[in-house]
Amino acid sequence: MTPPPPPADHETDTPTAPGLDQAALIAALRARIARLDRSAAPAHGSLPLSPAIDAALPGGGLARAALHEVLAEEPGAAAGFCALLLARAGGTVLWIAPEPDAWPPGLARFGLAPADLVLVQAPRRAEALWAMEESLRCPGVAGVLLLAETVEMTAARRLQLAAEAGGGIGLLLRPAGSVDPATVAMTRWRVDALPGAGGAQALGDPRWRLSLERGRGAQPQSWDVTWRVATERLEVDGMTALRSLPRRRA
Amino acid sequence: MRRRCCRTPRLDLPPSPGAVPMAIPLAMPSLPRGRRIAALWLPFAALERRRLTGPAALWAAVSGRHLITAATPAALAAGISPGQALADATAILPELLLQPADPDSDAAWLRRLGRWAHMLTPLPALDPPDGLLLDVTGLAHLHGGEAELRAALLSRFDRTGLTARIAIAGTTDAAAALARAGGTEIVPAGGEAAALAPLPLIALRLPAAQIAALHRLGLREIGALLAQPRAPLARRFGTALLATLDAATGVRPRPLQPLRPPTEFLATRDLAEPITTRLAIETVLAALLVTLCAQLRAAERGARRLLLRAWRIDGTVQAIALGTGQPARAPRHLARLFQEKLDQLDPGFGFERLTLEARVTAPMVAAQATLPGEDGIAPESRSQALAELLDRLSQRLPVWRLAPRAGHWPERAVARVGPFEAILPPANWPGPAPRPIRLLRRPLRLSAVALLPDAPPSLLRLGATSWRVARAEGPERLAPEWWRDRPDRPPRDYYRVELGSGARLWVCRAGPPGEAAPWWLHGRFA
Repeated sequence: MTPPPPPADHETDTPTAPGLDQAALIAALRARIARLDRSAAPAHGSLPLSPAIDAALPGGGLARAALHEVLAEEPGAAAGFCALLLARAGGTVLWIAPEPDAWPPGLARFGLAPADLVLVQAPRRAEALWAMEESLRCPGVAGVLLLAETVEMTAARRLQLAAEAGGGIGLLLRPAGSVDPATVAMTRWRVDALPGAGGAQALGDPRWRLSLERGRGAQPQSWDVTWRVATERLEVDGMTALRSLPRRRA
Repeated sequence: MRRRCCRTPRLDLPPSPGAVPMAIPLAMPSLPRGRRIAALWLPFAALERRRLTGPAALWAAVSGRHLITAATPAALAAGISPGQALADATAILPELLLQPADPDSDAAWLRRLGRWAHMLTPLPALDPPDGLLLDVTGLAHLHGGEAELRAALLSRFDRTGLTARIAIAGTTDAAAALARAGGTEIVPAGGEAAALAPLPLIALRLPAAQIAALHRLGLREIGALLAQPRAPLARRFGTALLATLDAATGVRPRPLQPLRPPTEFLATRDLAEPITTRLAIETVLAALLVTLCAQLRAAERGARRLLLRAWRIDGTVQAIALGTGQPARAPRHLARLFQEKLDQLDPGFGFERLTLEARVTAPMVAAQATLPGEDGIAPESRSQALAELLDRLSQRLPVWRLAPRAGHWPERAVARVGPFEAILPPANWPGPAPRPIRLLRRPLRLSAVALLPDAPPSLLRLGATSWRVARAEGPERLAPEWWRDRPDRPPRDYYRVELGSGARLWVCRAGPPGEAAPWWLHGRFA
C-alpha cells in the first residue's frame, strides 16, 4: 500500500497581496502547474537515453511511473530498445509474453543482467493484462514489458494508473501493423532497424531509427542511433539531422 | 498411578469384563502408553463400493487361473468362497454376478477413505487391503465414551452401505486382530493379552507356513502361544514371531504409520449450516487465516505450503494447495493468493467443515522496521512486495527466471529456475561472441541460397517471403555437447546475417555444407 501523498495545498507562494512582482507570480504559478501536471515533471524521475534525445523529452528522459508504447517495425530492434530501457530502469524487471523468448546471453549486452529478469508466460490477453497491472502496481518492480497485439484504451488507462502507483516503467511492445492513433501511453515510439556501419564481413554495432511519434510535452521527431556495445552507450548519429515528424493531435 | 504394562503379560490375569469404556485412562493423557486405536475392517468393501448386492463376486487371473477373490454374503451363503475357480463358482450358482477385481482402484478407494477419516482423527492409517486404523486417543469423550464412538462409526458406515467391524484396543495389532476375528470389541488398557487369548493364530496374520508349524505343535490359540516359554519359541520360529506377539500384547507396541504426519499448524472451522457461496467461503477462510497466522507468528515461522481442505456434506474432501516463494504469514497476502484458486472448489450442497494447515513452514523472524529510502519506501518492503507479487503471479501463470550455465549449445545456455532462485552467472559469461536477444523456442525452417557450398547465404526464404542478405558474419561452428547429446547430432554453423532492411538474424546450417543440410532461423539480434 502506497501512502496517500501529503496534501499539497499549503503553498506559501500563492498570490496574497496585489502589486507584487509579476515575474515572481508567474514563476510561482508555473511551478504549481508543473506539480499538478505529471507529464511535465515526472515524480519518480526518468530514464536517460542519450543527451540529444533526452533534451527533447520533458523531464530529461523517458519518464518512470508511466506507460510507454513501442511499435516494432522490426521485432529484434524493438526488443533491443526495450531491453535497453529495462536495463536502465535498474532493478527487477518482468517480461510478460504469450511465449517469452528473451535470451539472457544477448540481453546482457544491453546491460540487462539475468538476475534482474523474470519471465511470465501469459497465453491469454486477459491474464497478460492482469499480470502487467499487478506488476506495475508493485513498488519492488523497476520495469515491466508486455508483448501484446492490441491493448484497448480502458486497459491501457488502467496500466497507466498502475504504473503511477507503483513507480516502475511500463512498456507495451506491439507490432507496428495494428495501431490505432489514440493512446493513453506517455510516449509512443516506433523502432526500426537500420543497416549497420560495419564492412561486408562484420556487421558492426546495431543501428536503429527511433521515432517519437507521440509524447506528452514532446515534439514528434526521429533519430538514427547506434548502440555502442563496447561502451554501453546510445549515440545519436551526427550526420542525421533531427527530422521533425508531422504533428498529429490525439 | 496405574499399573504400567511394560512387562511380560501374565496370562493368569482374570479375564476383563466385556466393555468397560469408563475404565480408560482418558483423564491421564500424559501416560506414555495411553494410546487407543480403533481398527476398522471392511470385509466386503471391494464389493460394496461397487454397489454389488445379492449374489455377486469378483474374480482375478492368478497365475493363469481365474479365481474368485471376493464374494458378497449372499454368494458366500450359496457356497461361493474366495479362492474357488471361476468355472466352479458359475457351476454352483449360475446367476452369480461376476466382475473383474481391480486391486489398484480398491487401494485408491481405501486411501480416499483414509483421507476422509481425517475428519474423525488427525492420525488415521491404512491397513491394506481392507482396513483402517484410527488413533482415537483422547477422542472418545467427544462422543460420550468409546462404546458410543464405536456405535457412531458403525452407524456412519451402515448409512453408506458398508459393512464394518470395529474393535478398539491399546495396540494396533490387537485392535486389528480383534476386528477381524471378532471377540471383545473394546479392550481396556492392559487387557490386550487376555482379549487375544481365545483367538486363532490366523488373527495375528502370521505367515501360513508358521501357522501350520505351530498347529503341528498343538498351539491353536494365541493364548496357548503366549503361555509358552519365550526362548524356545524364538529359537524355533525366529524373533519375528515374538515381535508380533509383543506388538499385539502391548509389551512393545508398534507405532501407527499415519497417512501423513500430523501438522503443527492447523486451523479448523466446523460449520453448523453448510456453506455454498463464495462469499461465505472467503469469510471462513479469512477467519482461518487469522488463526493460522497467529500460530505461525507465535512459533516465529512462516508458511511455505498451505492446504485448504473442505469437507462436503456428501463425504468428499476437496483440497486446494498453495505454495509461497518465501515464508509468509500475512493473512491479507495469503488471502489474495487463495483468491486465485477458490474457483476450484465445488461446494455442491455445501461444505460442513473447512481446515487450513501449514504443511511446510520455514523460520521467519519478525521484520525489523527500517528507515525508508529516499523515495519513502524501505528496501525491505520493496523486496517483500516483489516476493508477494511473484507469489501471486505464479499462482495463475508460469513464472520463471533464466539462469546462465557454462555451456555453448544455444538450447542449453540458460536453464529455467524458479522465480525465487538466486542467479549467479558463471565466470566470463556471456563470452565474446555476439548472441541474439530473442531465441526462438521452435526454430523456423529456412531455405537458403549460397553462392558457394560453404559460403554464407545470400538469399533466405521463409515460406513465401524471401530476404536478400546484405551482409553476413560467420560461420561460427558450434559442436554438440557429446557427453550429453545423442551421438548423431550434427554440428551447426551459425551466421549472423543482416537483411536489406537492417534486421539481423541468427541463422544456422545443421550439418556440413552441402545440399542436404537444413537451414534454420534460430534467433533475432537487436
